[in-house]
Amino acid sequence: MTESPKLKRAPSIRGRLFGYLLLPLAALMSLAFWADHRTFVTPMYDTFDRALSRAAIAIAAQVHQGNDGQLYVEGAAPGTLHMHLPGAHLPPPPLPDGDITERHDSSLRFEPDNRPLSWMRLYPGARETLLYRVSLPDGHTIAGDDGLPIATGHEADNLAYGNATYKDVPLRVVTYHAAIGDTPVVVTVGENVHHRDIVVRRLDSIIGVSDGIQLLLVLVLTLFGITVALRPINKLREQIAKQEPQSLQPLMLEPVPGEVRPLVESLNTMLMTVRDATLAQQHFITNAAHQLRTPLTGLKAQLEVLAGETQDAAQQERITRLQGSVDRLAHTANQLLALARAEPSAHSPGDFVSIQIDALVGAVIGSMLDRALARGIDLGAECEPLQVHGVYWLLHELLINLLDNAIRHTPDGGNITIRCGRQNGTPYLEVEDSGPGIAPAERERVRERFYRAAGSDGQSSGLGLAIVEEIARSHRAHFKILDALEGTGARMRIEFPSHG
Amino acid sequence: MRILLVEDDPLVSDAIVRGLATAGYVVDAVGDAESVQGRLDTTHYDLAIVDLGLPGEDGFTLVRRLRREGSSLPLLIVTARDGLDDRVNALDLGADDYLVKPFALPELAARCRALIRRATAATANEMVVGRLRIDLAGRRAIDDTGRVLELTRREWSILECLAHHSGRVVSKERLIQAIVSWDEEISGNAIEVHVSRLRAKLGDAATVRGIRGLGYRLDDA
Repeated sequence: MTESPKLKRAPSIRGRLFGYLLLPLAALMSLAFWADHRTFVTPMYDTFDRALSRAAIAIAAQVHQGNDGQLYVEGAAPGTLHMHLPGAHLPPPPLPDGDITERHDSSLRFEPDNRPLSWMRLYPGARETLLYRVSLPDGHTIAGDDGLPIATGHEADNLAYGNATYKDVPLRVVTYHAAIGDTPVVVTVGENVHHRDIVVRRLDSIIGVSDGIQLLLVLVLTLFGITVALRPINKLREQIAKQEPQSLQPLMLEPVPGEVRPLVESLNTMLMTVRDATLAQQHFITNAAHQLRTPLTGLKAQLEVLAGETQDAAQQERITRLQGSVDRLAHTANQLLALARAEPSAHSPGDFVSIQIDALVGAVIGSMLDRALARGIDLGAECEPLQVHGVYWLLHELLINLLDNAIRHTPDGGNITIRCGRQNGTPYLEVEDSGPGIAPAERERVRERFYRAAGSDGQSSGLGLAIVEEIARSHRAHFKILDALEGTGARMRIEFPSHG
Repeated sequence: MRILLVEDDPLVSDAIVRGLATAGYVVDAVGDAESVQGRLDTTHYDLAIVDLGLPGEDGFTLVRRLRREGSSLPLLIVTARDGLDDRVNALDLGADDYLVKPFALPELAARCRALIRRATAATANEMVVGRLRIDLAGRRAIDDTGRVLELTRREWSILECLAHHSGRVVSKERLIQAIVSWDEEISGNAIEVHVSRLRAKLGDAATVRGIRGLGYRLDDA
């Protein structure tokens, strides 16, 4: 078997389906992820903002007006930034969250000695730490961190929100406008935005992982679905593969899904067309054989009768020459028919049966013996029992042609031996003659149709070895032209595929 | 010996009639299968040669009909078709032999002779090969001078087996089967010895030809 050339292949249906699903699914998942992110981020920020605003309101509630009209924050020592909310002991707090410690620059690290930022807790044990500033509308700070930016713009409930960066720390600030007695007071609370960012990142990663797992599950299910859905196509492929190569049986439509049915139907139409053409060809060959052979038989037989009745030597000589021509014509007609029938389209796989080659050798020798004996040729066989898978009349034709060729090229009194058997497991059939042999340079050309080697006898049609080649090919056998084992002659060898 | 020829091509028909006449046969030719019955009713034939490609009823149908009617007339098919199916069909239907066109007249004559010989052997218990008359009932062979050949039991069995298939190659294995009973054993070499003795006794009345690697063939001379 020859290796078929590398074909440019379209991607498989499975690959295409997978590809067409994978990309949109991935895009869809990204979209869903983004939507989920948007959906939770806004309410979550709102929640954080509300918590922050509650802190601002709570601090405002601690601001009192003293009898002197001075404002002070309850629990905070007047004049200091040090603040004491009830129960909220304020040593400089550790960093609000372990996660933040890891992520923050060292510049943001709280240093107790120079205290750039005075983080506080709203109540003991609170997770969140805050910056705060209580000031007057003119900007004068009463308590807290006097550099804390104040959010501008009034919103409902006297609350204003904003983002700011203070001492390199990104903050979310809430400013609450309150009035203590009749004095307006501005309470601003700031919170490190990393608090909320961490939560957002955590939620994002949870959503991302769960969406990823979903996508993976969908892909696995899709792949499984595709495999199951494509099963009828695989079945169809098996059905086609199971057919003999030359079988022109239509494929079954029954288990085929609707999408593939038109394909199978066109395939069947094509098969039927080929089958009709094959039948037509077989019919033609049969008719041609009849139309050619019957008049040739008449001509040949008439000439024989005429030769028997003629006494005149000159006429005898003419008749003999005519007979030679008629024989050659008959031979060529036979060869052409044999060649036509050796075409793969001219026989069906049902013709392939198990054939006893040694018995075939006996039959062929029997039919050619008289011709060999007339020339004093010792025709014999050295056969081991051998069975091959083939078409009987094609192999018969093959051997007839090999033997005919051998008899033509063997001198009177020579030897022809037909051998068959197995050599190193390879079934073979060979015909060896004691003729002049075929030069290696000629060995390819003699297989060509109508090629006649120099010095051939004029009776040859030049088709014999072309027929052998054709028949060997249709049996996936190799036709080799070799030197005789002894002497000068040729050895024509057919090697059949070893699996039989 | 009388032969009925069923062949529609006049050129072929005429040549066969003339050719077989020189071989000593009387041949009546008809052009279609429908005329066959009338001939068979009025004349005794030793053999019929039937072309498969007849107009009207074809050769297959004719052969099948003759055999169904119980005719034991030896039938030789001539056909232009040589596909395996045609051969198998013709022989399965009851034809005795077939010949593919185009054939040489001497070959046709040889086939006719072999078929008639076989049919005669069955009815008259006698066969003629070359100048040898083989008396199957008396188990003896007589040459043309009237001399009865002195043959051993095994030599006779070999001659009988070869004569039944004269003109065809008979394998050594088949000859061994013909001469030994089932409790005996005999080698291929022993067969060769018997055959060479038989050859010497036959002289030139008939020829036993050895075919290398295949077996033996009994020829007329």
